[in-house]
Amino acid sequence: MNAVGFAWRSLVRQPARGALGVLGVAAVGALLFDMLMLSNGFVLSLHDLLDRYGWDIRVVAGDLPLEGPRLRHASDTAEAIANLPQVRAALLVRIAEARIDRASGPPLTAQLVGIDVRSAPGRVIGTSPPWTILSGRDVANANEVVVNTAVASAAHIAPGATITLRALCVAEREALPPTTLRVAGIAEFPFTAFDEHAVGTTLAALKAACSGNVEDDVDLLLVTSTGDADGAAAAIRAARPGVNAMTNDEVVGRFQQAGFSYFQQISTVLTAVTVSFAVLLITVLLTVSVNQRLGEIAALRALGFSRWRVVKDVLSESALIVGTGGLLSLPLGWLLATGLDEILKAMPGVPAQLHFFVFAREALAVHLALLALTALVAAAYPMRIVSRLPIAATLRDEVIG
Amino acid sequence: MRCGFTILFLALSSATFAQTPPEIIVSRQLAESEHLVVGSLVRLATDPSGTAAREFRIAGIYEPTPNPSRLGVVPREVRMHLPDLLNFTRPPSQSPGTEYVSTINVALVDPNDAAAFSRDVNARMPGVLARPSSEAAGSAGPFRVLERFHLAIASVTIVAATVFLLALTIMLVDERRETVGVLRLIGLPVRRILLQILVEGLLVALAGAAFGLLLALGSEWIINGFFQWKYDTALVFVRITRDVALTCTAIAVPLGAAATVVASWALLRRSGLTLVRR
Repeated sequence: MNAVGFAWRSLVRQPARGALGVLGVAAVGALLFDMLMLSNGFVLSLHDLLDRYGWDIRVVAGDLPLEGPRLRHASDTAEAIANLPQVRAALLVRIAEARIDRASGPPLTAQLVGIDVRSAPGRVIGTSPPWTILSGRDVANANEVVVNTAVASAAHIAPGATITLRALCVAEREALPPTTLRVAGIAEFPFTAFDEHAVGTTLAALKAACSGNVEDDVDLLLVTSTGDADGAAAAIRAARPGVNAMTNDEVVGRFQQAGFSYFQQISTVLTAVTVSFAVLLITVLLTVSVNQRLGEIAALRALGFSRWRVVKDVLSESALIVGTGGLLSLPLGWLLATGLDEILKAMPGVPAQLHFFVFAREALAVHLALLALTALVAAAYPMRIVSRLPIAATLRDEVIG
Repeated sequence: MRCGFTILFLALSSATFAQTPPEIIVSRQLAESEHLVVGSLVRLATDPSGTAAREFRIAGIYEPTPNPSRLGVVPREVRMHLPDLLNFTRPPSQSPGTEYVSTINVALVDPNDAAAFSRDVNARMPGVLARPSSEAAGSAGPFRVLERFHLAIASVTIVAATVFLLALTIMLVDERRETVGVLRLIGLPVRRILLQILVEGLLVALAGAAFGLLLALGSEWIINGFFQWKYDTALVFVRITRDVALTCTAIAVPLGAAATVVASWALLRRSGLTLVRR
């Protein structure tokens, strides 16, 4: 019988102990797997959202998109950027607040997004608006809007219906005249929270709703490069030194610096704690198990089992406990990550499509490597005990005992 | 008054001028990054191009109040008197006295009147929204979510620890099989042995909980030190309060004692002879 088979028999001989050991590793492993998914989950998910519509550069006046001052002289800036050889198109994005009238109930407060695309003559834009049409169609003129499902369900509207909204463009307490717009479609806005209402339209429609109260400024410019995003961002910065052009990688980096690195730090701390916990407990489990079987191991050595062979038995037992628990930890960790993700997504302002726990092959590889290391380190001390076991003295003690 | 817009530093000088410029105070982080000292003269502008920059004198350097919702953002801030701020930010086309402020903080003689005072202001002054400070703390939302997240992780950790604890106690109890068998054979009743095991379990659990708390206090110091260094903030990330310590002890001690009893129960149901393997 080989070492693994022998270790298996040792485990099933005491099923309660074996099962609890495996379950413990599964629970700790699930937490470890989750922390590894959390460490880069936000970055991967944010990157996915930023890349989704093909815009690979964000141009803003401040440090981060939608923070700091608006970009002034937006039309000229967008034209200048769109005419750069490294750029395919630029999209002006202006965001205002709107109150949407309803047949019954108080008005809905919504985010009103106005867009306008610029590109040099003859260039293929090859990108889409920063929303996904779910039903109906996209806006075709300045009298149309698309709304997200939260607006559609709260206001009981469908494509073809009309909505009346009052825009708030420069201050919270404006009293602008109402604007009636036709709903062309229902869309999904990637950066809106679960319960956030959003309306998308043309920049011209937004300016009309603001009754000319807005100047030629936008919240951000989305730019799509001809292929080299870093080169295009550098060209934009050179052409317009007053603006901040960031590739999607740089935006993610800035968000990480601005607070979301907390999750990376906390996952590192918890990963370290979890692995230490697992090592400590499996070491104790194996050490106690080996101490209970010293007589048996000494007898096996006396029967001709080599030192290396009994060491392999202990290592195999550790590998079986950690391996089986580790396998169980994957589905368990996935379930746990779903629940924890829901908890974190309840944070105000977090986009509904952003995830904190994202599966990545690298996370799985690190998980498996850490478990393998745990099995090895946890078995080190009990392996030392069996390798140095004095056969005759142990057998004599067992007989006298 | 906190200046919440982009400020460009144009030039620094220690020289003094005939007309004393308005005074400002700057955050410690800004002072460190720009090598500013009390008495320095700085020129501030409201736009990146630096047009219409004005000169100010640094009267002091302050440590910003830690703001959890701005974690990771180094607070490079300047504070100045409200009249100076309004003069500084007013567009040329705007007449003095027509500016607005975002918030007015009111200190009441009796803080318990906050709700009634807010209602009164809201009724008398349409267009103004008054709220007690306790209700205005909207930024607490993310931290309640984080609290739930940490609680969920703590729950999983407790489950894992319980499973391991059961496995360990089963093994430890099994080691005492013969001792328990002898005690049964000399006439000690099951209840008496169980009580002894329970007391022993309680003592071990209490010692474990005390060690755990000491470990937590050590970790508190390390984690706070690391994150305060990492984010350059005075925020406290981990705090072992009396309530936290009591909650942990209240969970750990009964759990440890219960695990010992549960693990022993299966053993005690067997006869004394079986236990001593005769």
